[in-house]
Order: sequence, then C-alpha cells, then structure tokens
Amino acid sequence: MDLFLQLLANGLINGSHYALLGLGFGLIFSTTRIVHFAYGPIVTFAAYTAWLISGSMGLPLIVGIAGAVLVAALLGTGSYLTLYRALERNGAPPLIPLIASLGLTIVLENLVGVLFGTGVRTLDVDSSVHFLGPVFFTSIHVWQVVSFVVIAVALGAFLRRTRYGRAILAMTDDPEMARVIGIDTLKVSIIVFALGSAISAVPAVMVLLKDGASTHMGFAAVFMGFVAVIVGGVGSLRGAIAGGYLVGLVESLGLWQIPTEWQGSISFVVLFLMIMLRPQGLFSMARK
Amino acid sequence: MEYIYHVAVLFCLYAILATSFNLLVGFAGLFALSHAALYAIGAYTTAILTTTLGLPFPVPLIASILFAALLSIVIAVPALRVSGHYLVIVSLALQVIVLQVIVNWKSLTGGTDGISGVPTYSFGSFALDTPARFLIAAMLGLAACYWVAWRLTRSPFGRALRAMRENESAAQSVGLDILYMKVSVFAISAGLAAVAGSLFARYFSYVGADSFSINETIYILAMVILGGTGNLRGAVLGAAILVVLPELLKFLPMPVDIADKMRLIIYGCVLMAVLVFRPQGLLPELRGKKAMFVQTDAERDEADTAKLLDGETGATSETVLEGRNLCKRFGGITAISDFSIALRSHRITGLIGPNGAGKTTAFNLLTGFLKPTDGQIDLRGKSILGKKPHHLVASGVARSFQDLRLFTNMTVIENVVVALPNQAGHRISNLFLKPLTVRAQERENTALAMQILRFVELDGKAHETAADLSYAEEKLLVVARLLATGAEVLLFDEPMSGLDQTTLREILPVLRRLAERGKAICIIEHNLDVITGICDEVFFLDEGRTMAVGSPAELMSDPELAERYFK
Repeated sequence: MDLFLQLLANGLINGSHYALLGLGFGLIFSTTRIVHFAYGPIVTFAAYTAWLISGSMGLPLIVGIAGAVLVAALLGTGSYLTLYRALERNGAPPLIPLIASLGLTIVLENLVGVLFGTGVRTLDVDSSVHFLGPVFFTSIHVWQVVSFVVIAVALGAFLRRTRYGRAILAMTDDPEMARVIGIDTLKVSIIVFALGSAISAVPAVMVLLKDGASTHMGFAAVFMGFVAVIVGGVGSLRGAIAGGYLVGLVESLGLWQIPTEWQGSISFVVLFLMIMLRPQGLFSMARK
Repeated sequence: MEYIYHVAVLFCLYAILATSFNLLVGFAGLFALSHAALYAIGAYTTAILTTTLGLPFPVPLIASILFAALLSIVIAVPALRVSGHYLVIVSLALQVIVLQVIVNWKSLTGGTDGISGVPTYSFGSFALDTPARFLIAAMLGLAACYWVAWRLTRSPFGRALRAMRENESAAQSVGLDILYMKVSVFAISAGLAAVAGSLFARYFSYVGADSFSINETIYILAMVILGGTGNLRGAVLGAAILVVLPELLKFLPMPVDIADKMRLIIYGCVLMAVLVFRPQGLLPELRGKKAMFVQTDAERDEADTAKLLDGETGATSETVLEGRNLCKRFGGITAISDFSIALRSHRITGLIGPNGAGKTTAFNLLTGFLKPTDGQIDLRGKSILGKKPHHLVASGVARSFQDLRLFTNMTVIENVVVALPNQAGHRISNLFLKPLTVRAQERENTALAMQILRFVELDGKAHETAADLSYAEEKLLVVARLLATGAEVLLFDEPMSGLDQTTLREILPVLRRLAERGKAICIIEHNLDVITGICDEVFFLDEGRTMAVGSPAELMSDPELAERYFK
C-alpha cells in the first residue's frame, strides 16, 4: 500500500511535468497545426542556458530561469519565422514542416553539444526532503507541481480574458475561419510559438535541477509533450493536461509490474496504442 | 587510398539505405521513420547468426532480409490505420522501442556493449578483409538492391504506388489493392535495408545500438529528400553527396567529437534548405514521356477499345446493380434510410436533392466505401455486401468523386493507365517472374489508354501533368479514368458541376454514348437541365429519404418537390 501511494505521488509529480510539456507543445500544435518537433532541442537549449547563467556564471536561479525562458521564446519564434513560415509561403504539404522540423532538431541538438559540451550538467540547489505519511518527495517535486498549477491557471486566464488569447482560441477552432474574420494569423502564430516555447523552459529547468541537463533530454521532452496532446485529443489544452497526468500515472504505476529498465519505453508504447486505437484522443469531446 | 575505399564502402551502404527508403517515402508516400531500426535488425541478425551459430554465407544475409521484412509488417499495421503526422510520430516511437529492446535484451545482443567479432566474408583463402576488397561485396549489394528497386518502380506496380501516394481513396476507386501494396512495399524496403545492415555487420565486424539511432533515420531521410523523392538516381546521388561532404570536415582542424556534431548539423541544414528552396530535390521525379516505361506510339485497332467501353449485356436493358432498403447511421445521425435503387444497363439514373440529402452516402454504400447499417446490395443477383472497393471495381462497379481526386502529380495518361483492369504488373511476383508478359501487356495498355483519352478528346495532353490541366479538362480526365476501369456500372458524382455550357455539351454526349453501348450509369447532379436532358429515371432524395422516383418530366411537374429543392 505504501509503495502504491509512493508510486501514485510520483505519477502525479511526473504528470505535472508532462502536462506542462504538453501545454507548451499543444499550444503551438493546436493553433498552427505544425508538429514542431524542434520543441525538444529548444527544451535542451533552455536547460543549458539556465545552467550557464546560474551554474557556470553563479547568478541567482531566478535569473537563470528568466534567461532560459527568453532563449526558448527566441528560438521558438525564430524557428517559426525562418523555417515554418517559409514553408507555409511555399504552400508545402502539411507533412513537410514536420520533416523540416526533424532537420532543425538534429541541428539544434548538436549545436547544444558544440556550444556547451556533451557531459551531463547539473546545478546544485538546496533540495530538502519531505514526508507526507509514508510518501516521500523533495522540494523540487513541489516546485514541479506548483509551477504547473501557476502556469496552467495563468494561461487559462490569458486565453479567456485577453484579446490575443481569444484570437488564439479562435484559430485553434478553425484557422481558415479565423483568417476570414480578420484575425492576424501571422501575429497569433508568432505569439503561440513564443509562449509555447517559453512555457517549455520551466520544465526544462526542473529537469536540470532534478536529473541534470543532457543533450538528449529534448527528445523525451517533445515526445512526452506529443503523447500528452495525443492522449488528450488534439485541439484541447485541458485534454493535454489530462493526457500528461494520465501518462505520468501509467508510467509510474507501471513500475509495479514492469522492470525499471523498461520504464522509458512505457510512454512510447502508450503513444503507439493511443494512435492505433483512438487517434482522436481520449477526451476529444470534453472541450465542447 | 584505403581511406577512399572506406568512403566508397560507406557510400554503397547508404545508397542501399537511401534507395530502399525512397521506395517507402518517395514512391509510396509513407513517411514511416523507423528505417534505422530495420537497418539495425539486419545488422544484428547477421551478427548474432555468425558469432553464436557460425552459419555460413549466405544464410545470415537471407535471415536478415526475412526477419526485417517480417518486422516491417508490424510497422505497416499503423500505416494502414493512420497517415501523415501520426505515422511519422508512431514510427519514430517504434524505432525507439526496437532500439530499447535491442539494448535491454543483453543475453542476445550484448546490450550497450554490442556484438564484436563478426567475421567478414571469405571464400577459401580470399577474405574481404580490407576496404578495397570489401568494396566488391558492397558494390554487388548496391547493384542488386538498386536493380530490385528499379524493377519495382519502373513498372505498373511502381505507378500504382505513386497513385496511392497521390490519393489513397482514388487509388482504391480504380481497383488498386491498398493493403497488398502497403504491406509489400514495407517488406521490400525493409528487406533491402537489412542487406545494408548485414553488410555493415560484416564490414565493421561490430554492431552496437549507437549506429542505428533516430539521427541515422533522419540522415537517410536527408539523402532521399536532397536527391529527390520518387527518383531512384536521386537517392543515390543524395547518398553520395551526404557521405562525401562531411568527410571534407576531416581536413579542418577540430576535435573528433565536435567534427561528428558538425556532420549532423550539416545534414540537418541540408534537409531544411532543400525543403525550403528545392522541395523536389536535385533530381525531380520523372514526368512527361519519361514517366512512361514503354513507347506510346504503338498502333491498335478500335475493336478492343470498344470492348472496354461497352457493357457486357446485349441490346435489352436489365438490372445490373441493385440496392434494397439501404440504411446508414453515423452514431445517432441517419444519413440515409430505406433507400432502394436498381441500376439498369443502357440506362442513366439520376440522383437529385439538396445538399446533405444522402446522395454521396448512397454512392459510398453502393461502391463499398461505406458499409450499410442495414440493407442488401446485389450485383447481377449476387450479394456484394461487405466487399472492399477494389474488389467491386474488379467485379464491375466503379465511381468518381465530387472533388475529383485525380493523381495530380502524375501525367494524364498515367492517370488512365493505372486504372486499367487485370494488370499482371500490379503483382510484384510477375515483375520478376514474367517480365515479358508485363511488358507486352503494358504496351497494349498504353495504347488502350491513348484510345480512351481520344474518346474524351484529351489525347493531345496525354503527357502533361494532371495538375496543369484546366478545370474542364480535369473533369474529362475523371471520366476517362473511370472508363478505364472497364466497369459496367459507372457512378459519377457531380460530373458536370462547375462547367460552362460549352464543356457541358462536350461531356453530355459522352455519357449518352456510354449508356447506348450498354453501361449502367448513375449520376448525382444539381443541374436540372442535365437531368432532364439525359436521365431515364430520377431519384429525389431529401434528409436521407427517397421522396420520389420517376421520369424527369414527372418529377419536374411536382410542385411540392420543386419547393423542397429550391427552399
């Protein structure tokens, strides 16, 4: 029973992490319909930037986080304006941006290696251990959950209350119609790329604090973001959140029966089954 | 010098990989990005069979090919269900899973240590133990793989693959078996990748999971896209450029691990730049006359065309296709209910009614694109319920689509040839076992396609790309493609919409001539002049129900129907 509670808590903590990744990826994907695979290495870039500022240069962590958010937002916007926009202008078929994004992914991932070196980079922070009954967690785990809640609430308010937020929602519903009613889809696309990438910098820093940054971390990040979105149903940010938690729980509770070395594969198997059995997502009707 | 031979061996391996990947990505349009995993399967199978069982050549090679082909069918399953983004992501996930299994199955694969000590090929005392000697094996491998790919793509099968890539449902509607094509192209592509894998294991005498990462798949993809998707020589050229180009980095002073990263950065940049600036690649797909693989000037007498264009019945009109009490529900919505229709030879039947009346649903039911919730469909008295569209085309029921669904990146004549029935060259086995039959038949079919184009007066544009036709010409091509199926029941979904009076006057007689020759024709139409002009019998549908059946004159004089129609 204690093990179950611990795995449940781990699942919820990881779920917050995946939900946040899903939120950033889903914002970009459901608004622009671009499968921005380079979201992954941008997460990596953000983590290394935070390490550079707060670890290597010794500045406060908050400055490191700010730097990571800024770099991620710039890279995200940059990839839209230089790459995807050019493809959109050419009238490329919908699959082409994804293929180009794979190219961008290996460029950025290896650029991280060239700029920062390949070793794992860690950042030492005071992380105290807490117990809640039999369940153990660290303060970084708490931050993961808190950062998710804060960002999710803020994003929800932004989307519903502000003019741009509503424009984003309109474009998510129907890009053609959004254009017809006079929404500046270029501006909205830039905003979602900036915002979605900025959001991804937060889980990036959390990975840096928890396990350290490595050049391959981005791949897992974009996949988890994608899994969350698919499980939740494309076009629904609430679905992406639910999807993130679901994957976190399945992955964690799966450990009960499955040897640890396979843990990394669980999410891929979930993704595979989801796409095969229910490509429209589990909660695709929940939004209406 | 050894170094140059080494680069040449690498080129051969990647040329095989790019060629096999091109079959999947370029010709079949299936972006299943797990090619490096199949490459890995080929390499590991050979490594395991040679080091643990000591099996002699060519057993490990054959086992590699068969095992990779078998595994590729697992990847083909998702490709049958999903496409586009989903296929890319799901196949990347599969690639990760395969690699994870390889790393975790330590007892068999040596885990992260890999397998070393794979023996190279040796024939008596002659061992291929230097790059120069190994190059012989690598070149033979490349030549064999390229020949297989060439045979497949420069054939009716290759053309069918491209048709499937252009539009899957249209490919079904002209009688192509999508399941067969997808599974076989996956298996062959995987088998060829396994040849490269097997050579890899022999050449390096070591296999490790690092060599088969997702980066490797993207690397091969970059070769195909740089060289030109759908062009065999293109993929080989792409492989040559991307193998040699990064070798030049060796002449710059930089640490090895940085150089390795620079190499990958170059691939990524090349991939992006090609997609933005030259999406068709360095060597684009063959078009115009070059797209054909036999000459088109062969002469042919009219009689055979007549056979294709004529229905099989005699002078009297009889029922060919009959649907009874058909009903289709989607969830809670009833698209059509209690629909009964009999299509007779020598007759043109019209379906009219407002949008959403269920006309296209009726077509989908009659042609096997949808399965009715309830009801019965008979073709010449035999039930055809539950049969796949391509089976129905072979039995003589074919349809067109309202939104045309031409194979836009193929030439006009290719659009027609691909639809011709009973092509031996659509089966892979025939391409290799009966090449002469395939070639002779192809010559006949090309001439036949020309005749059909002449019938709709498109013969002057035979070698133009379908995408470059005018709207009216596209509509004519739709008719020609449907005729090519040789079906005796032809269902046209709005063949006249959007056409001006002049073009209408061109198409109407074509339909009438077909009916005169014994075809059973059904058209969906909004233009009442057309309906009154050519239809023998008209069904008026509204909200999924049959409101009235009768001659055009009877229906036109019913004020209630007129009101419904124009409401």
